[in-house]
Amino acid sequence: MATAETWQPAPSLPPPRIETGWIGWARANLFGNWLSGLVTVVTVPLIVWAAWRMLGWLFGTADWTLIASRPQQYLIGLYPTELAWRPLTGWLLVSILFGMAAAMWGGAARRIAIGYGAVTVLLGVLPYGLFHEGVVMPWWVRAFILGNLLTLGIGYLLGMNPKTGRPRNFVLGGIAIYVLLLLILIGIPGVPGMEEVAPRRWGGLMLNLILAVSGIFFAFPIGVLLALGRRSNLPVVKVLCVVFIEVFRGVPLITLLFMSQVLVPLALPANFPVDSVTRAAIVITLFSAAYTAENIRGGLQGLHPGQAEAARALGLPGWQVTTLIQLPQAIRNVIPAIVGQFIALFKDTSLVYIVGMLDILEMGRSIVQGNVQFTDNGRENLIFVAAVFWIFTYTMSYVSRRIERNLGVGRR
Amino acid sequence: MATEAAVTAQEALDQDNIIVARDVHKWFGNFHALRGVTTTVGRGEVVVVIGPSGSGKSTFIRTVNRLEQHQQGDIFVDGVEMTDDVRNIDAIRREVGMVFQSFNLFPHLTVMRNITLAPTKVRKTPMDEAEASALKLLERVGIPEQAEKYPGELSGGQQQRVAIARALAMNPKIMLFDEPTSALDPEMIKEVLEVMKELAASHQMTIVAITHELGFAREVADRIVMFDEGQIVEDLPPDEFFNNPRHERVRRFLSQIL
Repeated sequence: MATAETWQPAPSLPPPRIETGWIGWARANLFGNWLSGLVTVVTVPLIVWAAWRMLGWLFGTADWTLIASRPQQYLIGLYPTELAWRPLTGWLLVSILFGMAAAMWGGAARRIAIGYGAVTVLLGVLPYGLFHEGVVMPWWVRAFILGNLLTLGIGYLLGMNPKTGRPRNFVLGGIAIYVLLLLILIGIPGVPGMEEVAPRRWGGLMLNLILAVSGIFFAFPIGVLLALGRRSNLPVVKVLCVVFIEVFRGVPLITLLFMSQVLVPLALPANFPVDSVTRAAIVITLFSAAYTAENIRGGLQGLHPGQAEAARALGLPGWQVTTLIQLPQAIRNVIPAIVGQFIALFKDTSLVYIVGMLDILEMGRSIVQGNVQFTDNGRENLIFVAAVFWIFTYTMSYVSRRIERNLGVGRR
Repeated sequence: MATEAAVTAQEALDQDNIIVARDVHKWFGNFHALRGVTTTVGRGEVVVVIGPSGSGKSTFIRTVNRLEQHQQGDIFVDGVEMTDDVRNIDAIRREVGMVFQSFNLFPHLTVMRNITLAPTKVRKTPMDEAEASALKLLERVGIPEQAEKYPGELSGGQQQRVAIARALAMNPKIMLFDEPTSALDPEMIKEVLEVMKELAASHQMTIVAITHELGFAREVADRIVMFDEGQIVEDLPPDEFFNNPRHERVRRFLSQIL
C-alpha cells in the first residue's frame, strides 16, 4: 500500500416504497391471501349493517328526553335541590385545579382543561326546554356552571405565576380543595344554608367521582408503603403487609363492600360516626391499595440491583436510596399498570349500588324505573352512563400515555 | 468505648495504611468466596487487582465499602473498623467512591443531578456550590457539554466518565473501580482509561482498581495484586509482576488474557 485511500461511506437511501396509498394498504392488510379476502368480504358488510342500525337507533328511535330532563339526579343524586349550590360550589373549586394544571404542564393538561371548559359551556348554554317541555334550568344553576370558566381562569393565572405555579402548591391546593369540598358537601351544623346532608343522600356522578378520587388519593401512598413493607427486613412488618395484601386481593370487592357494613365499625371505637359512604370509600381504597402495592413491588423488583448499590456506595442513607433512587424508577416503570388499576377502581365505584347507594348507574336505573312513561328507556340510560364512564376512563388512559411519553418509559 | 480504643490502636499501628484487611473470609451460602485475605493499601497508593472471574477480587473490594459483609477477619478503612454499625458504614461510604462495571448511573436524573445528588443530600452542600463543582468535574472528565442530558442519551464511555465524576463529587479519599472498562465497546475504553490515569497521576487519592487493562496497570500501578480461589496469589510492583512473578499461576493467567 503506497498511499492510504480515502474511504467514502455509501449514501444513505430512503426505504423502498412498495405499498402506496390506501389501495396498497388494503391489498396488504385486507386481501393478503384468499382466506383474508374471504373474511373481509363477509365481515365488512356485517360491520356496516350493524353500525347503520346502531346509528339509526341513536339518532332516530332513541328517546333522550328523560336523560336530558334529569341532569341534577345524574350529577348529584338525591342531594337536596335547595342545597344543590353546595356541590356546584365544590365543582367551581375543582376547576381551579384544572386551570392550574393547564398552565403548569401545558400539553395534555391544557387539552383536558380545554375539553373540560367546552363541556362546561355546553352544559351552561344548552336549552334544555328544547328536549323536554317544561324543563327549565334555573338561571343560577347556569350561572354556577358558567362560573367554572372563571375559576378555571383563576387557576390558570395561579399556575402561570412562577410563585404560585409550583407542583407542591398544586398538591397542597388539591388536598385543601378535597377537604373543603367534603366539608361543603357534608355541611356545618348550626350554620344557615350549611345544614348537614348525610352522605347516604350523595349520589350520581358526584358519588362515583368522590369515591374514585378518595380511592386513588389514599390508595397510592398506602400501596407504596405496603410494597416497601413487603420487602422489609423486619419480619413483623413484612408478615403484616403480606397478610393485608393477600387478604384484600383474595376477596371480591363486592364481598368487601358487604363486609364493610359489619367490619369497619368493628375496627373503630363504639359509636364512632362512620357513614356508609365513608365505609365504602375505605374498602375501595384498601382494595385498590393492595393491587397498587403489588404493581409497585413488581416495579421495584425490575430494577437493576446496581442502582441501589451505587446509591449506597455514595453514602446515601437507606431511606433516601428508596425515595430518591428506587421508588421514582419503579413507579415510572409501572405507570401503565397503576393507571389501569385506577381505571378499574373508577369503574368499580358503581358496585356501591349493592350497599344501597345511588351512584350514576343505579341513579339512572331508578330514574327509568320511576317514570312510567319511560320504562323502556333502559337502553338510553345504559348508553348514556356508559358514555360518561368512558369519557373519564379514556381521559385517564390518555393522561397515562402522555406521562409515559414525557418520562420516557421504555426509552431510558 | 471498646471500639474507639481498638481504632486508636489500629491507627497507631497502620498510620500510613488507609485500608487494612486481616484474614478476611466471606461465604455466599456454601461458597467460600474469600479465604483469608490479608493486605494493606497505603495512602495515595494505586493498586490494580487482577484475577480470573470468580476469584473473589470483586467481592473483596466490595467489602471495603461494605456492599458485601465479611463474616470473619477485620477490615479497617481510614482507621474505622467495618462493622454492622450503620454510622461507621455511612461515614466510610462518604470517603470511598466506587465505579461499577455497569456504570449504574441513575437513569431518571440528569447527568448534573446524578453528580450533585450525594453532595447535596449527604454532605448538605448548597445546590449552587454542588453544581459549580460538578461542572468542574465534568470538565475534568472531558464532557462539560453533557450536563443537562440524561444518562440514556450518552455513549457507554461518556456514562462511565460521568460515573467517575459522580464518585469524585464526594471528594473521596479512596476510589474503587470494579472493572470499569469491561462493559465498554473497544473504541471507548481509552477515554475512560485516560481519566483514570489522570486521577492516578494526581496522587490525590488512593485507588484500588480491578481491571485487565495491563497497559494501564504497567503504567500507573504501584502494585498489582492477583486473586485466585478467594486468596491473594501475588502482590508485586508491575515490573516484577510481569517479568518475574513468583508463582507459576500468574504466568498461566497472563498467558490466558494476553
